[in-house]
Amino acid sequence: MDESFRIEVERLSGALDQLDYFAVLKIEAGAIPAEIRAAYHRESRIYHPDRYATVDDETFRGQVARIYRRINEAYTVLRDDARRRKYSADVAGPDRPRKLRFSEEDEAEVKGAAKRRTVEQMGQTPNGRRFFSAALADAQAGRWEAAERNLRMALTYEPGNERFKEQLALAEKNRPKQDFRIK
Amino acid sequence: MSDDIAVGIDLGTSYSAVATFIDGKPEVLTNEWGERTHASVVSFLEDGTVLVGNSAKRNIITNAENTVYSAKRLIGRFFFSDEVKKAQAVMPYRIVEGPNNAVRVQVGERVLAIPEVSALVLKEMKAIAETALGHEVRKAVVTCPAYFNDNQRQATKDAGRIAGLEILRIINEPTAAALAYGFGKDISQRICVYDLGGGTFDVSILEIGRDVFEVIATAGDTYLGGDDFDDRIMAWLADDFQAKHGVDLRQNKFCLQMLKEAGEKAKIDVGRDGQAVIKVEGICQTPEGQVLDLEQALGADQFNRMVMDLVQRTFKVCDEALQSARMTASDIDAVILVGAPTRLPIVRQSVRHYFQKDPMAGINPDEVVAQGAAIQASALQNRSAAAGGQTSYLLDVTPLTLRVGTAGGWAEPIIDKNTPIPIEKSKTFTTSRDGQDRVRIRVYQGESKKAEECEFLGEFEFSGFRVGYRGEVLIQVTFEIDSNGIVNVSATDNETGQKASTTINLSSGLTEADIKSASDKNAEVVLAGHPAS
Repeated sequence: MDESFRIEVERLSGALDQLDYFAVLKIEAGAIPAEIRAAYHRESRIYHPDRYATVDDETFRGQVARIYRRINEAYTVLRDDARRRKYSADVAGPDRPRKLRFSEEDEAEVKGAAKRRTVEQMGQTPNGRRFFSAALADAQAGRWEAAERNLRMALTYEPGNERFKEQLALAEKNRPKQDFRIK
Repeated sequence: MSDDIAVGIDLGTSYSAVATFIDGKPEVLTNEWGERTHASVVSFLEDGTVLVGNSAKRNIITNAENTVYSAKRLIGRFFFSDEVKKAQAVMPYRIVEGPNNAVRVQVGERVLAIPEVSALVLKEMKAIAETALGHEVRKAVVTCPAYFNDNQRQATKDAGRIAGLEILRIINEPTAAALAYGFGKDISQRICVYDLGGGTFDVSILEIGRDVFEVIATAGDTYLGGDDFDDRIMAWLADDFQAKHGVDLRQNKFCLQMLKEAGEKAKIDVGRDGQAVIKVEGICQTPEGQVLDLEQALGADQFNRMVMDLVQRTFKVCDEALQSARMTASDIDAVILVGAPTRLPIVRQSVRHYFQKDPMAGINPDEVVAQGAAIQASALQNRSAAAGGQTSYLLDVTPLTLRVGTAGGWAEPIIDKNTPIPIEKSKTFTTSRDGQDRVRIRVYQGESKKAEECEFLGEFEFSGFRVGYRGEVLIQVTFEIDSNGIVNVSATDNETGQKASTTINLSSGLTEADIKSASDKNAEVVLAGHPAS
């Protein structure tokens, strides 16, 4: 191991708190998932603490360990689409200095948004969601009568849900017409 | 050079193996009898020596009370856990309660912690390696199931220290298997490791990019293994026997052991030959003194029906791992089977059906984990790695969500499952009373929002920070998961930057002093069948 690498490790470990996750992984801010993974593998080959397990200098090993923990942190956030979207927007904004590391609040926000999306799309009650998703599967498979039954069940839990009603109208239109009149 | 030899040890529920890296490839070491795997059974003999391995396994029946097996099912667990209760009912050895809800095993007058029992298995592995290599062995990489929690990992590490080994690393069994499979092959693949052991089941999904082995997701069940298959056969045999003779074999621990042995043998026979003939002469006596034999025949179809639900359970775990990895079964390029129960045709067929792919051939399911551990042991000892790079890099993840307890019995997530390790995360806590001089936090691992449904790791108490009004003192607590998957917690006062001192309460683990004294005791133990060192 040459001296210039030692200097680089010392500099990088000291500068971590001024770097965003893209800089930690040495990639562009708009990197796509495949590039992020490739960068993670590339940086792991350089900074993986196992590589320096036999180095006696404890300070150096501590610095490498610190860098590598941050690489893992960066990868954890950037490999996830929802987290990456939020993070990219945050570090490009005016709050950048405070947003370099993904915080608990950011995490909660991403999770909250995901939950809101499910609720919006799939219904507000567990039972409503259950019947609605069953209905969607039925509709996909062309079982319109089953879809209609499931949607009616879903609507008993959430009578006001507009999306459920929309789907029900669709199912009613598509299901085979039956004629109950006695001829 | 002798201190540069490091071995890889697969410390299994039923069987263990030891391997080392010689001439560029991993090699499983055999004992003097040429055996490559060794029963994880510890038998305490009358002369004070301890017998470990396949010969100790034969003592389960003749020296039942003094023979301990399947200790891994108990390691790192609390005395009140279901697994321990179940073990108490079926194990012939005595399981007693230790301090802080810990589990102890009592053999005669001796009371041993579970890591002490595992340490005796490790001592045997060390002795086998030393005999085979002709050198002293002081360092090792030891494997554990990927789904092991912090308590179980810590206990495994303690076992190594008690055995007088420097534990270079605890690595996950499926990761070790993947390493042994992909090592030196220069492949780029997505693989799934399906690891059904004696007592645990793990699935890991990895992306191998030449020398990098990245674990994308892992899932498991630490209550599912080959032993459960044996149990099914035992239950069937016992029910049938009871119907015929009116005697319940499960009431007597001696009969139960014979039954267990018969069940295990039947499972192996039916897997290999498609049928099994079970015959145990004189398994018990009726109250009238009549000696009864156990005789039965088991066909493959009947066996498959008995265990189908267990096999199905493994695929629920596979579903979970694939979902976490955001993949489907068709994204997997290769499936690797690990663990002896994966030799069963029912398991192989089901795996083929699930992944629509033949599992990789040419991999020895009993040895691949020890081989992977040996590769990693050698990598951690490689002095030229720092300059030239390594031949393999393991990028592993934490299998369980790390949580802190909050008011009302909830547990709030800190580090999600499947996060790459080593990793750290900080959280700020504050005091809730004026003049409060200590802060306590309880740490859990698990997937439930309710604290009681998660595994309790310990209570950390921080003190030595500034004393102020409530809400005024901010304490930053840093949770770190290291490369072994072991959790460390530390705290600093946000304002002064002063590190608070930490004490761990309520942990069922061993203290430094316990380990020291256990290690001294372990060193004195003479292993039967080895020359005293």
